[in-house]
Amino acid sequence: MSISTTSRSDHRRAGALLATVAAVVLAVAPAHADDPRAVVQHTADQVVAVLKDGALGPDQRKDKVQQIVLDNVDFPTLSKLVLARNWARFSPEQQQQFQHEFESHLSQTYGRRLDSYKNETVDIVGDRQEANGDWTVKSMIRRGGSGSDDISVDYRLRKNAQGQWKIIDFIIEQVSLVANFRAQFQDIVASGGPDRLLKLLHEKTAKGESFQS
Amino acid sequence: MGRSLCASLALLSLATAPVARAADAPVPGPVAEPGAGPALVEPSEAESGVPDSTAPANPNDPWEGMNRKIFWFNDQIDVYVLEPTARGWNWVMPQPVQRGISNFFGNLRFPIVFVNDAFQAKPLQALKELGRFAVNTTIGAVGILDPARELGLDQQDEDFGQTLGVWGVPAGPYLVIPVLGASNCRDAGALAVDTAASISPWYLEFFVTAGARIVDVVNTRSRFLREVAEAKEAALDYYTFVRNAYEQRRAALIEDRTSHDDTTPYGVQTDEHLYDVPQ
Repeated sequence: MSISTTSRSDHRRAGALLATVAAVVLAVAPAHADDPRAVVQHTADQVVAVLKDGALGPDQRKDKVQQIVLDNVDFPTLSKLVLARNWARFSPEQQQQFQHEFESHLSQTYGRRLDSYKNETVDIVGDRQEANGDWTVKSMIRRGGSGSDDISVDYRLRKNAQGQWKIIDFIIEQVSLVANFRAQFQDIVASGGPDRLLKLLHEKTAKGESFQS
Repeated sequence: MGRSLCASLALLSLATAPVARAADAPVPGPVAEPGAGPALVEPSEAESGVPDSTAPANPNDPWEGMNRKIFWFNDQIDVYVLEPTARGWNWVMPQPVQRGISNFFGNLRFPIVFVNDAFQAKPLQALKELGRFAVNTTIGAVGILDPARELGLDQQDEDFGQTLGVWGVPAGPYLVIPVLGASNCRDAGALAVDTAASISPWYLEFFVTAGARIVDVVNTRSRFLREVAEAKEAALDYYTFVRNAYEQRRAALIEDRTSHDDTTPYGVQTDEHLYDVPQ
């Protein structure tokens, strides 16, 4: 009898422990996703893991990295920020098309870089909240040597409607990708309208594809 | 400019302006006659494929027509002379040698950095630069190695254009200088002061200094082969890409946001509406 009591109380204790673990896990999981710094760290870790995986072919590697990036970047928001006030000049179809073309353009251009991966690592070196609630996470791409060749990359993150932190800008050596493309696209849209920009983007991607194959 | 040799998109202005970081840059001519600007020069669309006839006047680039022509000219030099030379150089020279050469020329920028630290009332930074120069010139084998970095004396990127910026002088219109590349009125004028402050080995024959300058330029360009090619690939309008990168980069340098330690401010955009989502 005493044995069974013990056993029952052990069960209860185990049950309580399990519940606690579950509660902790549940509490920690959203907290993890809630932390912009953790999002960047996790993204970087995943990308580096794929790049280090010698078993993957170049195309597989590119696909995997692209998927990781897509999961963590808020492309609709990034596209809107890049077009800024010109966004309203685009019809809903043109907006869709722009987002698609811009995404292909970026993944093609920067995807090519993956082939020259040389054991770079990513260190998160800081983060801070911005005035409008966004977070900026600061990282250094370590390229070996004395450190003089390291590249500084800052990520701007914003919480989406689902409460997840997503990247909305990359600031490479203090040059914002959003601001830079905005300047380029502003001139093009001002002179040739949305169609001109979509055409140029499309031509660029098509040219890149033929170049690659 | 551009002493910070971390490969960077921002430094891609070096693509057409690697010469600008060499010490004895000539005083740029176009500064003297900017009045000849947009009225006299037909806008050209050949370079970017973007028709300029209806292009908006960018407030920072009133001389865009002229600038685009010079930019195109500079790019031709790069495509047909500098880049192929740098490619060959890169093929012959091992990475550590390239880094050593770049360290060597960087070390020679000591007086410029030192003087401008002083002008910007940064005595600690000036002292660090002095220590850096002392260590690297001696233990670092006349600047070829960079042991000072291990001591926490990182290289600094300072020039008189930045000093003027710190003093509140506005950048003025964007300016593409023949051969030297991206600049603005303030930075172009400031080149003269940095030239005066630089180490000029007057006792050397002209062809020695000129040769050293060429080595510096080619070597610098060879360290950015991939970055420049990638930037040209990524840009829909390479001219605007470089102009914008130059503007952002200079603003960051003036605010000293480029240091790689995490104590400096970062990610700050001068355009506070950059991240407002349009409706």
